Amino acid sequence: MEPQMKRWKGSVYDADSWVAYPVLSDEQSQDVELIEAFAAPIVNKKETSRLVRELNSLYPLNGFQHIKRVRACKEKGSPHPLEVLVCLISDVPDMKEVSIDSLLPSDGVKPDGLGEPFVVKVPARPPLTRPQFELASQHWPTSFHEDKLVTVALRGELFTPTQKATMHMYMMSALTAAKAGKELGMEAVGAVVVDPEMERIVAVGHDCRGDHPLHHAVMVCIDLVARSQGSGCFCFDSYPACRFTPLTANTSQNVSDSDAGSRPYICTGYDLYVTREPCVMCAMALVHSRIGRVFYGTASLDGALGTKYKIHSQKDLNHRFEVYKGVLSKPCEDLNISDDHDKKDSGQ
Amino acid sequence: MGPEDCEAESLESFFPTDEDIDKWMSSAFDMAREALENGEVPVGCLMVYKDEVVGKGRNEVNETKNATRHAEMVAVDQVLDWCRCSGLDVRSVCERTVLYVTVEPCIMCAAALRLINLPVVVYGCRNERFGGCGSVLDVSSAHLPQTGTTFKCVSGHRAEEAVEMLKTFYKQENPNGHLNSHLF
Ligand SMILES: [Zn+2]
Ligand SMILES: [Zn+2]
Repeated sequence: MEPQMKRWKGSVYDADSWVAYPVLSDEQSQDVELIEAFAAPIVNKKETSRLVRELNSLYPLNGFQHIKRVRACKEKGSPHPLEVLVCLISDVPDMKEVSIDSLLPSDGVKPDGLGEPFVVKVPARPPLTRPQFELASQHWPTSFHEDKLVTVALRGELFTPTQKATMHMYMMSALTAAKAGKELGMEAVGAVVVDPEMERIVAVGHDCRGDHPLHHAVMVCIDLVARSQGSGCFCFDSYPACRFTPLTANTSQNVSDSDAGSRPYICTGYDLYVTREPCVMCAMALVHSRIGRVFYGTASLDGALGTKYKIHSQKDLNHRFEVYKGVLSKPCEDLNISDDHDKKDSGQ
Repeated sequence: MGPEDCEAESLESFFPTDEDIDKWMSSAFDMAREALENGEVPVGCLMVYKDEVVGKGRNEVNETKNATRHAEMVAVDQVLDWCRCSGLDVRSVCERTVLYVTVEPCIMCAAALRLINLPVVVYGCRNERFGGCGSVLDVSSAHLPQTGTTFKCVSGHRAEEAVEMLKTFYKQENPNGHLNSHLF
């Protein structure tokens, strides 16, 4: 790996020139949704633990366990140091005139130590990522079970320099295939399927839709993976840049699934590198094939792994996978730009 | 007359009649039943162009180890071959072809059908797990300007029968009740 790293240093093909960011689910990337609630100042701090206990039984925050009951007052010099969440507005739907006495029935919570209620906005759902947590906390203190890997990934720091160099190498193969396809008049898209455990390229393909409208680079690769296992149904032999590595005794010996050749989901545990975001057909083909992870260079207009859909995290589907974008983003983007240039040139 | 009127009129003129639907769906159901009797995924599908079957398919996932070989994808390949043999332009044939299939096409197949500009799909039952014509996603009518053209769906024809066949198949496949979900 080292000599290759040196060769790439200082060029646009430097592994330092790009960052891979995760494409998270809608739930993980959406804005913080807020709901309204009544809070009240705690004017007598000594009553705090009793108030919390009694409020918890009168107005349990069912489904809102992420919201903390008490917060410290923001403004310095505030006459009261603490505020407590009394209830959600939806807990008291028919209340017309709101006062602390109307919110607290005489047999439930003694209002001693509480001031008059006021409306606050609190996060409706537990935060899933650090950015969501930071936004939610600006409204009301919220608990957060942090997934450290997601936090690191969102900073673009999930992969070590060595891992990035390997990813770089695989995406370079996809770029080379894309260019070979383009030479043949196909769309400039290339893809590579990798067995990450064996650090082995299983298949390389490029777009072939000049011959067949559904032979997008990903579909070509999926069939080449099947061919690497002795099956498949298309012949891409006339395209030298579309190739596969036959699964031999040597390459399959470490595969834990006992017999890789007979596993029903042919891409289980494999990674895909593709120069641009797959379309709906290709993305769903990857679900059916049980791909392990997908890395793409640049987004596409109808893309189904982040842009139009997030099929990799779609509710109700039986297989989910991680997706990262931005690997060698600049050269991957340039594949499209030079396409446009060509079209302009030929138009003149 | 604008180009849109033109399109609307020509779609009307070859849109399947109830009679067409009965006839071709009955063939599709025969294929599905035959598949079920052979222990295969009970989905039957055929592509009809000018009252002629130009493509037929059954699920070929297991024998090809290619998880994308759904019945519809196999049928599309036959249509392409048929066009080549007949010396006809793929696009102009596909634009006048109807797909009859016993189960709602999955998300992948729905996108593929858009990409070949197929205008009408007639199907039996919903595909609750993977359906791309409304059950999981509505790929058939979504705004996807780079993914071919939208298509119309006629659904519900002999739906209970199609569901029964799927249930029977899954019971055979997996008597424990765990659905073996890779198969269609
Ligand atoms: Zn595609
Ligand atoms: Zn399908």
